[in-house]
Amino acid sequence: MTAQLESQLVVGAILFVLGAIGFLTRRNLILMMLSAELMLHGVAVNLTAFGRYHGNASGQVFTIFVLTIAACEAGLSLALILGLYQRRKSLDVHLWGNLGEPNLPQMSVDDGMRMEPQHPQGMPVLTPAGAMPTSASAAASNKI
Amino acid sequence: MNSLLEQIHLLAPLALGIIAVWMLLPREGARPWILASLCGLSAVLWLTKNFLPPAEDWVQTGMFYAFAAGAVLSGVMMITESNPVYAALWFAMVTLSVCGLFLINAAPFLAAATVVVYAGAIVVTFLFVIMLAQQGGATGYDRKAFQPTLASIAGFMLLACLLFTLQEWGGKAVVVEGEEPKTPRPQFVLPPAHMVTNPLSHPMPRSDRPDQNDLGTLQGVGRSLFGDYLFAVELAGTVLLIATIGAIALSPRRSQGTL
Repeated sequence: MTAQLESQLVVGAILFVLGAIGFLTRRNLILMMLSAELMLHGVAVNLTAFGRYHGNASGQVFTIFVLTIAACEAGLSLALILGLYQRRKSLDVHLWGNLGEPNLPQMSVDDGMRMEPQHPQGMPVLTPAGAMPTSASAAASNKI
Repeated sequence: MNSLLEQIHLLAPLALGIIAVWMLLPREGARPWILASLCGLSAVLWLTKNFLPPAEDWVQTGMFYAFAAGAVLSGVMMITESNPVYAALWFAMVTLSVCGLFLINAAPFLAAATVVVYAGAIVVTFLFVIMLAQQGGATGYDRKAFQPTLASIAGFMLLACLLFTLQEWGGKAVVVEGEEPKTPRPQFVLPPAHMVTNPLSHPMPRSDRPDQNDLGTLQGVGRSLFGDYLFAVELAGTVLLIATIGAIALSPRRSQGTL
């Protein structure tokens, strides 16, 4: 009855890791959300296996809650994805890479290459107003 | 280094499997299909040898093998498929296999509910969105994965940690100093002695009378759901309502132009 617990946990772990790899590598927004659902499947297998091992229905009840949250997540993510698609006419997640801090390095699509941080398009570029004040001049201005 | 060599029967199949996934991930040029499938199959067989469920009932064991292999192989096909429509269909296959595992775990209601919710609603909705947004099949960003090497290494580390923890937990349980292990393979189901005091790891006292053991029946699930977890059910309903309102508010309006 309970002898298959370890094997089921291994299957759940493999499904979870496959979902994680898919979430990290795929660039299509829809496939990223599907990979997240794959991770939820791995968790659900774990929960029901432990529920059978403990002999109560708590694992199944938790899995029902996981189903609920997965349904919410799918609805919200599809609404967001459609909104994002309307703006850029593409599902590529890297078109939205400039939402982060502009001075952070971004990982490029190619292996092991780092792109220089690009200035966001359409933003005004301010010319530097002068040299950075050194500590000596700052101290001098403090005296004045 | 020696401790790493002791775990070679765990690490080697994991490395093989991750290399198979890495070779199959979408990239420019041809992917080595045959080599990758050989690597993946040998990894699955090797892992199966280590984490073999003890043969009790050949029907149950065969069902477990079929559904577990279906879930894992369909999952690999899903994350390596470059066409998003096929990836969604492979995800439906993963869902069906996981429902088979639910059946083995004495959860027939959950299996039916998962088929209805996932394969019937979520996958179809994802397919609708793919058809709306991306009618031309695989595009450039689908054909090239993002950082496959780093992601494969991260997945290998995570899976190795998980399986090593599982193995250590079970391996220390039965093998006692100066005493022959009772079974040739360590059993996971007996927790170590210092863990027994943990109230969370106790199996519930299970009655043998079939009229009192309601595991797997709809009655037992319903009693637990609306008895023990009533507050959580109300919370889940509220979360569903808020998510519905949010999805309606977020979805693009027709006045802003359709797709």
